[in-house]
Parts: sequence; structure tokens; C-alpha cells
Amino acid sequence: MATPDQKSPNVLLQNLCCRILGRSEADVAQQFQFAVRVIGSNFAPTVERDEFLVAEKIKKELIRQRREADAALFSELHRKLHSQGVLKNKWSILYLLLNLSEDPRRQANKVSNYATLFAQALPRDAHSTPYYCARPQTLPLNYQDRGTQAVPSSGSLGSSGISSIGMGALGGPAPAPQPLLPGQSHQTLGVGDCLRQQLGSRLAWTLTANQPSSQTPPSKGIPNAVSRSMTRSRREGETGGAMEITEAALVRDILYVFQGIDGKNIKMSNTENCYKVEGKANLSKSLRDTAVRLAELGWLHNKIRKYTDQRSLDRSFGLVGQSFCAALHQELKEYYRLLSVLHSQLQLEDDQGVNLGLESSLTLRRLLVWTYDPKIRLKTLAALVDHCQGRKGGELASAVHAYTRTGDPYMRSLVQHILSLVSHPVLSFLYRWIYDGELEDTYHEFFVASDPTVKTDRLWHDKYTLRKSMIPSFMTMDQSRKVLLIGKSINFLHQVCHDQTPTTKMIAVTKSAEPPQDAADLFTDLENAFQGKIDAAYFETSKYLLDVLNKKYSLLDHMQAMRRYLLLGQGDFIRHLMDLLKPELVRPATTLYQHNLTGILETAVRATNAQFDSPETLRRLDVRLLEVSPGDTGWDVFSLDYHVDGPIATVFTRECMSHYLRVFNFLWRAKRMEYILTDIRKGHMCNAKLLRNMPELSGVLHQCHILASEMVHFIHQMQYYITFEVLECSWDELWNRVQQAQDLDHIIAAHEAFLDTITSRCLLDSGSRVLLNQLRAVFDQIIELQNAQDAIYRAALEELQRRLQFEEKKKQHEIEGQWGVTAAEEEEENRRIREFQESIPKMCSQLQILTHFYQGIVQQFLVLLTTSSDESLRFLSFRLDFNEHYKAREPRLRVSLGTRGRRSAHM
Amino acid sequence: MGNGSGPGSLALAATNLNAVRETMDVNLEISRILNTGLDTETLSICVRLCEQGINPEALSSVIKELRKTTEALQAPENMTSYLETP
Repeated sequence: MATPDQKSPNVLLQNLCCRILGRSEADVAQQFQFAVRVIGSNFAPTVERDEFLVAEKIKKELIRQRREADAALFSELHRKLHSQGVLKNKWSILYLLLNLSEDPRRQANKVSNYATLFAQALPRDAHSTPYYCARPQTLPLNYQDRGTQAVPSSGSLGSSGISSIGMGALGGPAPAPQPLLPGQSHQTLGVGDCLRQQLGSRLAWTLTANQPSSQTPPSKGIPNAVSRSMTRSRREGETGGAMEITEAALVRDILYVFQGIDGKNIKMSNTENCYKVEGKANLSKSLRDTAVRLAELGWLHNKIRKYTDQRSLDRSFGLVGQSFCAALHQELKEYYRLLSVLHSQLQLEDDQGVNLGLESSLTLRRLLVWTYDPKIRLKTLAALVDHCQGRKGGELASAVHAYTRTGDPYMRSLVQHILSLVSHPVLSFLYRWIYDGELEDTYHEFFVASDPTVKTDRLWHDKYTLRKSMIPSFMTMDQSRKVLLIGKSINFLHQVCHDQTPTTKMIAVTKSAEPPQDAADLFTDLENAFQGKIDAAYFETSKYLLDVLNKKYSLLDHMQAMRRYLLLGQGDFIRHLMDLLKPELVRPATTLYQHNLTGILETAVRATNAQFDSPETLRRLDVRLLEVSPGDTGWDVFSLDYHVDGPIATVFTRECMSHYLRVFNFLWRAKRMEYILTDIRKGHMCNAKLLRNMPELSGVLHQCHILASEMVHFIHQMQYYITFEVLECSWDELWNRVQQAQDLDHIIAAHEAFLDTITSRCLLDSGSRVLLNQLRAVFDQIIELQNAQDAIYRAALEELQRRLQFEEKKKQHEIEGQWGVTAAEEEEENRRIREFQESIPKMCSQLQILTHFYQGIVQQFLVLLTTSSDESLRFLSFRLDFNEHYKAREPRLRVSLGTRGRRSAHM
Repeated sequence: MGNGSGPGSLALAATNLNAVRETMDVNLEISRILNTGLDTETLSICVRLCEQGINPEALSSVIKELRKTTEALQAPENMTSYLETP
């Protein structure tokens, strides 16, 4: 304050004394000294210097006195005071005023007499009896000074100091039968104040600064209350020695311990992690035990509090964890409420002094009973906290859920309540995911994980995965997979199919009500409420997705197109194509040009039934030239191709397409063999007649025919096997599954199964490499035969041609009138014929070698077939060897097939 | 906090004085609401003491004691009259 006269505190104090007492300076000496002593000794305040706390207290007090208008006025004034900023120590001013305030309602008449009675003794004792000052250390001095005059009802405490004062000072005017009364009232006066000032400000009780002397009503003198007050002061002045702690002190301590604060006698022992009563205290065993039992509540409270405090600092704890902490907080609040009720009970006793009587005072036993329920609650919470240490997200929800499995209905309802709060974030994640396909999960708590690095073309397969650890235990694996699928479908639709239909249109089911209600439903009917929603969403979303795929992107049409073109389903087209391509493909591979081939492809399409296919399909059909190795002819590098993009590419992935191409390769080769043999047969038929005139060739030709027939049979059986056993059956299965599919995953799985089956049955997988090689060898032989046959025919036909020419020349000559043939010509002719006839055995032997080779390969093939694990291959071996033609030649084939119809692989 | 020299400080002093007066008024009002029974001068002494750092708890107990003493000193005649009633 900017006052010019800065008086020293002493001077001010003296002025104060003068002022209040209304006397001159000289007369106030005693009081002044006393005042100085008080102030000098009690320098530091014992309460928190919190201005706002005090202001709140004042307001509360005013409201308690039903003076709300005044409370509002006070707030206004306080604000003004605060804004002016002139005073530095606003807190102390307010505190002072609060302390000095008086409740106008309190009646002070009668008691004041006692007070005055009593106060009269003061001047004399002002020097040596500072017991009414707030100086704890001096109190015991006081008592010990006065000696102990055992007051029966106050236990073992010497409270006689007061009574003796009372007696001595008042000289008996104090009502004899209640000598303690003045003492008690007086006692509460000073001690109550200092007590209040020394107890922590954490307690929720309001500071009633009413003058105790003016308010303590004449009591009936309950000794216990008195002794309690004595013990209170006694405790204050505890300096050691065998002091008895009474129940009241314990009760107060316990009330602190309930909040986790160490009391005077009951402190937390860190080594043993429990609350212990101070060893020095002289306490009856039962009280000690009861106190320790009650202290457990404090321990539980600490545990829970520690957890929530730790977790609130943890930034990455996530939403589920936060809701868990909030639930715990709520429970703790309830607990605090109970504590404040207990405190106010205690406070009431303090204020009213001895009025309450034994029946309603707080004892340890009463506390035991009242805190029984809270103890169970806290125990459950503490167990939950233990169990949930270090978990977050869906794991945490699972942990809490595990605790609902208990027989105790009270505990179960508590844990269910917490579970409903805790699972709220999880459920909201879930609903967002299955209705909107959105995932906002910064703390990685949900069980669906999204990988941001994945691009849209792999969205379906790679982008979303299940985080198994976060699946809450109230959801089954099946449900969580469905959930994943639903969200994936929605995202797929939005991003890959470019279908922005809002989900509400898709889903006929209206969006659920507030999730907390769902959570409540969740636990009344755990399985079905949840399941219903997920199933409905799943059904609708998948149906919509499949609709879009089929209608907009004609997935099934493309699948069929694959079958027709890549798997050689469209027979006429393939045939015609092969016809057209034949002259091209015999050329070396390096001379082939793609555009030529594409032109031929288009011609083939236009000329056959393929032209009636949808243009979309035909657009995607193309020719692909494989990598050229040296020595390749066109046959080796030719392949058809089918372009896929967009959502179709999700089903027909790159791997799938490569599978298709491999199968196409195999099928194309087999078809080519068939084609070759047809040619050979054609050749036979055409040339048989012509070459009838050359009897020497008949043996060779006969051999050719036989070999060709064998090969034809073989190829026929292979083709049968491929077409019917492999392709048609698998395709049928695939088609059924696809028609019945409920979601895209089913389709993809069915398709992949289809491809796997075909691949393995076409001997293209790694296990059948040997068989495949054999088959290739067979095919090579067929080509050899074709070549050989071509050579024979060429030679034969040439020979025939020459002979015909010769005959013709002869005729010509005869017509001209010359000799038919000259000797030289005839000589030459004969020589040539002889040469020709000599070449025949060569041809024969060539054919024989070929035959032998071929049969050996086929036998080997048969042996391998019978040892294969696939049934249909084994049956193929029966068909191939239907008349045991090979069995006769191959001893290995004669070994019995055994009980399983299969020979062992080691032979 | 003393008065500085110069014209500006006068104005400053004036505003300070106003603020001080207002503060005292506010304090008085609060004291009246709370029924502390302190009159202006006592209140001002108290405020000054608090500003100088005295512990308000101690001060309040002192004041209470002083008040009681006052009452006691005025009591003798009351007491005698009381004692005579049975």
C-alpha cells in the first residue's frame, strides 16, 4: 500500500489492541505482549495460501447461511479487489476476514456468560498459560505443569490443567457438577481453531470460523466427547512417550488414509507396501487390527489413483484407455463422495461438540460397516487395474471383459458398466468402419489395420489386415473377419470401382442408435445384438459389391471369356485360328511380327462364332509373343492374351494371369499335336490311293499308319482327360461357387482353387515335372513322326511323280511313233527305281526306331501315371492302356496295383 | 513505494490514492458482509499488518482473544447477576 506512514508491525499491533480494547496504550500492555507472542510464534501459516480457495470458502459459508445475495455481492467485490491489484496479500486479508466473521444466526447469549466467566481468568493467566494460543508445543507443558488430576472420564490424559484452572481461577463459581464443561468449551476454543488450521485443506469441509466460545451450547457433558477433544489436543502435542491413541484419533487418521494421505499414526510403509500403525503407539489389538483393515481401502485407492494418474500422462494411451481411466475416475468420485460424507459427519461432531452422543458418532466399527460395499468396489477396480496393466485398445477391452465372467452379481454389474464405457470407442470404430469404411485410428487400437503404402490395385488383397491382438474377446474371429470384409468392400467400391454411392443407400438397415445403447444391448444379449448388425451390414455390402462387379464390370462375363479363349473353350475359333496361323508359325520365331499375328487373330474372330461375343471381351483379346530362345519356331512363342484392369484385376491378378498363360501353353501344345496327327491322317488318306501302285512302299506305309494310330489314340485320351476331367469339371465347380458366392473373397478363393486344380492336373505344378517331361517327349516324337512321314511322302510322291512322268513320256513317244522308251532311259529309270527301293529299308528302319522310341516313352509315362497321387491320372493310365498293349511289353506295368489301386513310387 | 519526485508521480500518487481508497471500501464491504465486527480503523490496521506479512491465522486469534478480553472486562456486573440466579 502506498501509505506514507509505514508503521512497524509492533506499533500497528499496539494500535490494534488499543482500538479493540478501547483502552489507552498503557493498559493494554498484557494483551499486547500476548499478541506479540502469538504472532511471533506462529509465523508461518498452516493452510495453503490460496486466495481463491478462501474466497470459495467464504461463498460457501454465506450460502450455508442462506445468504445467496450476499454471496453474489461478495463475488463481485472479490473480483473488484482482484482487479485493482493494490493489495499484495489478498489471501491473508480474506482469510483474516473469514476467520473473524460471525454467523448472525447463532445465538450467543447464554454461552457468552460462560465465556465471560471463563475469560475473566484470562488476564491473570495471560502470561503463563498460553494454552489458548495456537502453539502446540506449549500445550503439554501446560498440562504437565498443572499436574495430573485424573479426570475419570477423560481416560489417561491429564486434562486437569483446565479444570484446575477453572477451579482455581473461578473459585467455584463454575457449576460444580460439570467442572469440565468450561474446560471443554474453552478447549475447543483454542484447540479447535488450531486444529482446523492445521488440518489440510484437502478435506472438503467448510471452514466454519464461528467463535466456538460463542456457539458451543451447554452440553450434557458427555465425557467421551470431552475426552476426545482432550485427546485431540493431546495428539497435537505428542512428543513421544507411551501415549494412548484413542479411537477418535484413529478415525481421523483413517479418513485421511482412505484418500491415500498418511495420517498421524497410520502411515504407508513403502517396504511392505501397506499401511501400518505406528509401532510406538500404544493401541489395543482390536483397534489396531480394525484400523489396518480399514487402511486397506486407502491402499486400494492409491493403486487405482496411481494407475489413472500415470495413464493420463501417457499420450499414446488411446481412446479405449482414456475411457477406462474416465470410468475409474467416476468410481473414485463416488468414493470421494462417501468420504466427504464421512468427513462432514466428523465435522459436525466437531462443531457441535458433544451434542451427538455415542449413537451417531464415528467409530471404527461404523466405518467398517459403511465402507464394506465401497471396499468391494475398490477391490474389483484394483483387480481390474492390475489385470489391465500395459494393455491398450482392444486388448484392454478384452481384459475387462474377462472380468465380467464372475458369479458375484454386484461385481459383474460393476464390471459390465465399466466394460460398456470402455468398449464404446471400439464400437464406434466398428460402426464407422462397417457403415462408412473409414478408419481413424491414431493409436492403433482397432483390430483392423490399414497399410497406407499400398496402392489401389492391391487394395483388396494387401491394404487391410486384421490386428489379431486387438480383437476384443466378445467378438469371434469369424465376426472380425466379416467386419474386415465389410469395410474392405466399401473402400473397394469407393476407390477401385469408383462407386460413390453413400452407404446408407446400400444398407437397408438404418444406422444404429447411439452406441452406448448398443453397448447395453451388447451385454444383455451378447451374441445376437452384435451379430445381427454385422451380418446385415455384411450381407448388404457384399451383395451390392457383387452387383456392381457383375453389372458394371461384368466379372462373370470375363471369367467365361477366359474360359473360351485362354482355356480353348471356343473350339471353332481355336481351330480356325490354328489353321490360319499354321503357315506363319512354322517360320522361325524371330521373323514373326505381332501385328501380323493380331491381324490373323481378328480374321479368325470375324470368321467364327467368336464374333458374336461382346465387344468388350473381344477388345481385350490379344496376341502375345513370348520370349524368344534361339532355335524356336513360331509355335514355341505364340500365346493369346487377355487384358484385365480395374476391379477385374483384383480377381484376375497377375499371378492368376500367368497361371492362365501357362495352362494355355500346355493346352495349345496338346491341340497342336492333335492337329498334326490330323494332318498325318489326312496325308494317309490322300496318298494311300496314289501310292497303291508302289507296292514296295506298302510296308513302310503300313508301319507309318500303325504308329500314327497309336499316337492318335494316345492324344485322344490325353485330350479327353484334359477337356473333361480337368477343364470341364473344375470349371463347373468354379461356376457354381461363383454363382453362390456371397462376397468377393469367396469368388477370389474359388477362382484360385480352380486355377490350382487345373495347374496341378495339367501336370504344370512342380510335383509333376517328371510326368510333364515325359509328355513333352511324347509330343516330340509325334513331331518326329510328322517330319519322317513328310519326308517319306515327299520321296514317295516324287518317285511317283517321276514314274508317272516316265510313263507319260513313254506314251508320248509312242504316240509320236517312236520307241516308247529308249534303252538308256529305261536304264536310267530302273536305276532310279532301284535307288528308290534301296531307300525304303532306310525309311523302314527309321520308322522302327521311331516306333521303338515312342513306345518306350509311352511306357515310362504309363508307369509314372500309375504311381501318381492324383486319381484321375491313374485312370488315364487305364484308358491309355485299355487293351494292355503296353503291359505286355513292360514288365513293370505288370506288377499288381495293390489295395489302393496305386503302385508305390519306388519301383 | 514512496512518492517519486516530478509531476508524473503526483498523478501517479493520485491514482494510487484512489485505488487505495477503493480497495479499502471493498474490504470494508466484505467485512460487513461477513459480519466480522471490525470497524474502519481496525480493519485498516489489520490490512496493513497483513500486507506486511503477518500470519492471518495468528492475527485472527489475537483479535478474538482481545475481543473476549474486552467482553470479560465488561462482564463483572453481568456475572454477579448471573450467579445469583439459581
